[in-house]
Amino acid sequence: MWDQLADLYATYQSTIAFIGINSLLALSVYTTLSCGQLALGNAGFSAIGAYAAALLTMQAHWPFPLAILAAVAVPAVVAVPLGLPVLRIRGIFLAIATIGFGEVVRLGLVNWDYVNGAQGIVAIPQKTELWMIYLAVAAALFVLARLRGSKWGFALEAIREDEPAARTMGIATTRYKLAMLVLGAALAGLAGGFEAHFTFMVAPNGFGFGRVVDMLVYAVVGGSQIYWGPVVGAAFLTLLPEILREVAPLVGIEPGPLRLLVNGLVLLAVILFLPNGMVSLPRRIAEWRAARVAARSAA
Amino acid sequence: MRFARSIGVLVAAALAATGTARAEQVVKIGVAISLTGPAAVYGATQKAGVLAAVDHVNKSGMLKGVKLEAVIEDDASTKEQGIAVFQRFINKDKVAAIIGPTLSNTATAADPLAQAAKVPVVAVSNTAPKGITDIGDYIWRVSLTEFQVIVPALQRMQAKLGFKTAALLYGNDDAFTQAGYAVMKASLEHTGIKIVGTQTFAKPDRDYNAQITALKALHPDILMVSALAENAAGIVAQARQLGWNVPIWGGNGFNAPAFIKNAGPAAEGVYVGTAWNKVSPDKVNQDYLAEMKARGVDPDQFCTQAYVGVLAIADAIKLEGGKGTREAIKAGFAKVKDLPTPLGLFSFLPNRDGSHPPSLQQVQGGKFQIVQ
Repeated sequence: MWDQLADLYATYQSTIAFIGINSLLALSVYTTLSCGQLALGNAGFSAIGAYAAALLTMQAHWPFPLAILAAVAVPAVVAVPLGLPVLRIRGIFLAIATIGFGEVVRLGLVNWDYVNGAQGIVAIPQKTELWMIYLAVAAALFVLARLRGSKWGFALEAIREDEPAARTMGIATTRYKLAMLVLGAALAGLAGGFEAHFTFMVAPNGFGFGRVVDMLVYAVVGGSQIYWGPVVGAAFLTLLPEILREVAPLVGIEPGPLRLLVNGLVLLAVILFLPNGMVSLPRRIAEWRAARVAARSAA
Repeated sequence: MRFARSIGVLVAAALAATGTARAEQVVKIGVAISLTGPAAVYGATQKAGVLAAVDHVNKSGMLKGVKLEAVIEDDASTKEQGIAVFQRFINKDKVAAIIGPTLSNTATAADPLAQAAKVPVVAVSNTAPKGITDIGDYIWRVSLTEFQVIVPALQRMQAKLGFKTAALLYGNDDAFTQAGYAVMKASLEHTGIKIVGTQTFAKPDRDYNAQITALKALHPDILMVSALAENAAGIVAQARQLGWNVPIWGGNGFNAPAFIKNAGPAAEGVYVGTAWNKVSPDKVNQDYLAEMKARGVDPDQFCTQAYVGVLAIADAIKLEGGKGTREAIKAGFAKVKDLPTPLGLFSFLPNRDGSHPPSLQQVQGGKFQIVQ
């Protein structure tokens, strides 16, 4: 019995870790979304955190906790000079500018021979433990939960709903937006640092445009209106391919593209039927039920 | 009462059936390959190679009382799923050995797990010279590193064409092509050929005229290109359009039927080093070709290397007296020597890399032909 449980845990250990890491990444996109900013430089921040931590443990022989602190601090510091100019632009233009930043980071790493270019850093010692990842997720959720209903939280909400109006009310919008960008960068860097010391390697291609789209999808599918929505999305979308791996042989699907197709269909269904994300599922069910009751009493 | 008795009979029969089945030991091989994502082109043919080899070994009866079984999983060309598949193989399916993963990047992330769990891994398509077999003593490799392929082929080609200078063009944003470039550079230095110029491009690029024109002005005797199949065709076509008739040497990425198809007539005359001599008259190779034809598969180098990966595992089991445990297979690998395979006589070197004769091929009449 215990042996089987241990096997089960060992089998899904990496999936559990990636749920946590992807949650941190989803939350990093959520921070800027919470004040209405579509900033998509998080793959770049994550790469900076991952490379900083990996170089510090491997080359400078720093202890792991210090390297992780650096993975948080370095991207946060980089976010300040980046945020000051780019946060003046809005909407799709901000998205494009920040995607550009992410690509600059990726291409910089590709052309940096010291870190092996496209082949990346390999043979990184595995130091990340599951509890560290989940402690970080819990801490991030705690901070975001405390923000709600605070002066800060109201300011962020005001900026999200109407930025010019918020500014007329005396809210220093740039300062708030910059703070959220820095927080997002710190979370993305933290996830990168954990990932580097969990998967034994980091390579620039793991931090391309596709990665930041994944993060955005976690947040949107989970629900970007509430702080824990992105975690739901990250957990669901990280688990889904592994669940399908389990289900596929039972229904006679061979490993391959079909699993990907089902994955896409489930995603499509969530977006179509739950436009506010998975967190809105209980409310949607209540609405459907109320509509049915209403229809029956009308008949 | 009668009902109960018939159930008893059934149970007894079932027990007897499992009893006889148990006489045959089933050895599970986990196959972690990229069936989706960017590397899916290679994963599909690797799957065909593994399945053919497992059937071949089981039918041949070379392993008495042992039946091989392949458990195939898709790593979606990502390290995240590659790690998940490895943990699954090690802890859930409890496989005796693992074949794969398709990409070197995924291997550097997943192989350390197998090393820690003491599960032997056979890499069948990882060609990066460093960071694979040096992970540890459980990581073995069938696929030749590019260095092993390029140096002998380059020497043979130099003897034929007598060139002294070379120019290099490579994709610097991809792990595979970047590693290929490093090997080309080292091989040229090793062979004493002077490098007169180096240019780079990125995977999404479609226009290589600037790089080609710059290299053309240097008048090298040969142009070496490390590119994925998707870029290779464009580079070769554009070089020929610019009226440059220099001999072109392609890296491992050129080893794909898609390259010849997309480049059309421009592909004529291009040289590519290869691990597998498809037209080798050797009986093992001819039997293999017939076997694959019967299965409706047109094998390429990656298919054949996956096939040989299974043969190596089977040979290791045989050398250990039919024991199919993780430790036995690892111990058996060290004894695999001059095993007849479609790749030629195959041995594992002391550093756990594979060894067999490589070949040089040239595109002639829209097909790869072996240069003798």
